[in-house]
Amino acid sequence: MASPDRMTSVLGASSSTRDLVRFPEKTEMILLTDRPPQLETPIHYFRQDLTPNEAFFVRWHLEGIPTSVDLRTFRLNIDGHVRQPLQLSVDELRSQFEPISIIAVNQCSGNSRSFFEPRVPGGQWKHGAVGNAKWTGVPVKSILDRAQVKAGAVDVSFNGLDAPPLPSVSDFVKALSIDHARDGEVMIAYAMNDQPLPMVNGFPLRLVVPGWYGTYWVKALSDVTVLPQAFSNFWTDKAYRIPNGPNGTESPKDLAKDTVPINRFNVRSIFVRPDPDESLHPGIPNEIEGIAFDSGYGIRRVEVSTDGGGTWADARLDGGIGKYSWRRWRASWTPRNRGQYRLMARATNAMGETQSKQQWNRSGFMWNVIQQVDVKVE
Amino acid sequence: MTPKTKSVVFSLGLAALVAGCGRPSNISKEPEHGIANAKMESMLDVKPDSPVHTIVMPHDEPAFPPGPGREEFVTACVVCHSPRYITMQPRFSRTTWLSEVKKMKDVYGAHISEDQVQKITEYLVSINGQLDTGQAPKGTYGE
Repeated sequence: MASPDRMTSVLGASSSTRDLVRFPEKTEMILLTDRPPQLETPIHYFRQDLTPNEAFFVRWHLEGIPTSVDLRTFRLNIDGHVRQPLQLSVDELRSQFEPISIIAVNQCSGNSRSFFEPRVPGGQWKHGAVGNAKWTGVPVKSILDRAQVKAGAVDVSFNGLDAPPLPSVSDFVKALSIDHARDGEVMIAYAMNDQPLPMVNGFPLRLVVPGWYGTYWVKALSDVTVLPQAFSNFWTDKAYRIPNGPNGTESPKDLAKDTVPINRFNVRSIFVRPDPDESLHPGIPNEIEGIAFDSGYGIRRVEVSTDGGGTWADARLDGGIGKYSWRRWRASWTPRNRGQYRLMARATNAMGETQSKQQWNRSGFMWNVIQQVDVKVE
Repeated sequence: MTPKTKSVVFSLGLAALVAGCGRPSNISKEPEHGIANAKMESMLDVKPDSPVHTIVMPHDEPAFPPGPGREEFVTACVVCHSPRYITMQPRFSRTTWLSEVKKMKDVYGAHISEDQVQKITEYLVSINGQLDTGQAPKGTYGE
């Protein structure tokens, strides 16, 4: 539990304060906002391949988040452009469909937003709005097949139990193309790391869209609607859009006019070791460690620099545990002398895509600049 | 659309805040407090094998200092989100805060009158703003 003095809220306090908080079914996490909740995972949890459910990041959009679900009456509704609308209980999903499991990274579109310069408004995440979990559930394809999609379907929209605080505020609904929704991997998960989902992570059902940003992973999923036309709403037409250019980048002085909905993860890596406050010593081997991931092509190479980018050496890659999982990398480093060192890590995927040197967009999305960690050897 | 009210109970926070809208002074009189962790955990109503899964959300409603536009801020903004949405931001310029207030009004659908736009902006600048240089501020985070 956080010490009470760290919990004190004073409006106008420095925005760099990082309070810790414990929400129901969650461990101590970094508090961004409490209502609706946005909770960030402390980086040390990323030393585990699967992020514990109680430490998995949380991000809701609307004030009215579900706090109680009765599984006797809860139904997942499948309707719209189908011959056979369905109302399925969680038990029916578990017992009537062949389950699949996928280990997949879920990352908030705005993860690492606080590192953009100039700063942009929005959730001021560091690197902890991401996690890797084993998701178990039913492919959307299996459910749509049972509902018998009519010819001419274009999009499938996904709505959850969360509700806007005012009628003038748009309900949070996201959509995928019919082909994407039916790719056999997009799934409706009822388990996360073999356990029911915590309420604030989407109990009882959550859409899992491997390789795509978290905005599509609709929590507390209750309604799947097949549409004979392209889906349109505020959350797709105006929010969660990126410049239609390389890596979603634009200039603060010349904002892109052409934008597209955010979609697949770009390539990035995150240091998990050493700790920023860990003391390192000369002449002693130190383990440097991190994670790297992309949208599913697979991480093929991670290079590490211990001299601020002057020279690079290949890190060792752990065996993969799934193409949508992150992949752990390690490097051993024996600093010769005392002093300040700048560590950097650069991941490359099977497509040859790598990380950015510079990046900016107005929404603070898709950060993948090569990370720099300054350490002291003494 | 699902008849959501059948199986779902929403957080009572909104109702409480809406009720408080007409008398924002009540909110300010609440003692400055953090999120009530201990209370929250003891109220966690998860019984093994229970078909009803319930959590009790903590509320962290910080006291906010007096200032021009405070009443408008409490009425129009805190209905939908906690003041932490303001305090987690860097100290933005007046230009940036004004565009945020307009975005909330025109894009997100907040109930903010034209008259309130300026007053709320003044309040945000006074509690988490900076002199308007026309530039976004330097970051306060870094690793």
